[in-house]
Amino acid sequence: MTEREDFDLNSRSSAEAIVRLGKGLDVGTANFAAAAQSDAGSVTVNVERNAFLDIPSDAYSKNMLTKLKVPYVVHNGKLVVIGEAAFELANVFGRETRRPMADGLVSPKEQDALPMMKAIIHKILGEPQQPGEYCYFSVPAESLDVDNNVVYHQGLFESLINKLGYQARPINEAHAVVFSELAENDFTGIGLSFGGGMANACIAYKSVPCLSFSVARGGDWIDNNVADVLGVPRSKATALKERGIDIRAPQRREEEAVAIYYRSLISYVLENVKSRFESGDSMPSFNEPIDIVCAGGTSMVGGFIEVFREEFAKIDFPIPIGRIFCSDEALTAVAKGCLVAAAIGDD
Amino acid sequence: MESVNEVKQQLSARARSVTLDELAGEGRTRVPVIRAEHIAQMIREAVHAAIDGSGLLNPREVDALVERGCAEFRDALGQREQELQSARESEARLNATEREVAVLKARCAALTQDSVLSRSELQQVQDELEAARASSLGGSQPDVDSSELIAALAREVAALRESVNQRMVAPLGGQPHSADFEVAFDKLASKLGDRLDTFGKKLGLGNAIGVDAQVNIGSIFDDDGATDLESNMQDIQPHQQVGGSIAENLAKLRALKADG
Repeated sequence: MTEREDFDLNSRSSAEAIVRLGKGLDVGTANFAAAAQSDAGSVTVNVERNAFLDIPSDAYSKNMLTKLKVPYVVHNGKLVVIGEAAFELANVFGRETRRPMADGLVSPKEQDALPMMKAIIHKILGEPQQPGEYCYFSVPAESLDVDNNVVYHQGLFESLINKLGYQARPINEAHAVVFSELAENDFTGIGLSFGGGMANACIAYKSVPCLSFSVARGGDWIDNNVADVLGVPRSKATALKERGIDIRAPQRREEEAVAIYYRSLISYVLENVKSRFESGDSMPSFNEPIDIVCAGGTSMVGGFIEVFREEFAKIDFPIPIGRIFCSDEALTAVAKGCLVAAAIGDD
Repeated sequence: MESVNEVKQQLSARARSVTLDELAGEGRTRVPVIRAEHIAQMIREAVHAAIDGSGLLNPREVDALVERGCAEFRDALGQREQELQSARESEARLNATEREVAVLKARCAALTQDSVLSRSELQQVQDELEAARASSLGGSQPDVDSSELIAALAREVAALRESVNQRMVAPLGGQPHSADFEVAFDKLASKLGDRLDTFGKKLGLGNAIGVDAQVNIGSIFDDDGATDLESNMQDIQPHQQVGGSIAENLAKLRALKADG
């Protein structure tokens, strides 16, 4: 049951719908998503693509962008189109968008993108309801397959959100999925977040995370490989993937390429998850089967959960598993989970 | 010369030997004598005369044919001599290469031995660090300052590297060492260094290598100029989605917290 109340996250008027304190922010490689709730418990999520595109600046372009309601900022003498509009423009002109984040973390190649990221986050998060309002933001776990370090990434966003007037708190991305999707299971089970840059996993027992890790493959890995084999820009590959295909039954050569890499990604994630669980470090034991829930934008493609079940059936998983299902709100599950953590933290 | 020898051989094959006394007994006191060279000359003249008489070739063509044949023979002889020389040179190079390979194999064996020694020393260091960690986790004060321990271990690694470098330079009569072995050892030394860092962190000795101070990353945004950026974003609403209620999630979490 969903109670819908239309309200603006940026509203501060007490005469309008009251927004409970606490906000959640999904800091994703592909998308940012900010969630807030009303007093009745319904949730509104603002989503914006984490990409931008710079174009030459002139008065005519600015007027056109404003009339077309295309968000931009002027930075270093250039017009920088931000968010989903940047992605659409890039596809129209056959260019690649610039991405402030790569592989789940802040990209070292796009250091001058920090103002753009701050602008996007400020737009979707809005002003705090009161100074020091909790904002839980998602961070990835350290990866099993590459040598990465999340300290800088976490510190950067913590500082950014604090500067917007919030009290920033980090929460593991897959743990947020557990908070969002496994309430019926008493927050016990495995949460998997298939994002743009990474796939994160968390096994939790009664809301307590026992084990969290990630692998450095996600939707971007699929896009890069599909772009390479088809000889198209990566933005085109992304659009192809997101236009509504079914990876169980690809219709054309392009869709076949997407389906192949999707299956490879799912298999890779499952093998690494299984391997990590089998290593035995910090592993809880379960007497009853537990559920696996998948979320994240990359899991939204048609046929994802069916292919996931097929690949899961091929391996001998070390933990008894009950249901395997995909979140109904895959794109916003992480933000929603962060919101749950923020709301509890506020009580 | 060959034709004269052939004539001599043919004559010898068809001749019989008699003594001078036997000839005298037969009443022969004088016999005609002719040299093999003259017979060969007579044969050549007869062949030329026969060819001339046949009208097939004129003498000049015959001479040219003979000369050409001799020239081809001389060329073939020269090529065979060159090939022989080339083969001898290749054999010499092969022998030299085989000698070099033998030398390198010996050096490889020596360096492998050194690497085994280094690994065992590393294992010893690892064990010592684990023991130190165990004792520090047991609550006892470490016997040495953590930073001094890390510095001592770093000095040991440097000394180890130096000793292996010296062994590499002059293990077998001062032969220059191969670049490949240098690269392999650099890799090993680098791995030793990385593992040392990891040990330090695992033991909580990271503070000893300068991670004490909290870095203020927030200063990145102090003067980013974002607030002064010209923008039209204030007039544009972000894309909104309405999600399911989280009331049940919150209720269950609060219940778990209360139970816990």
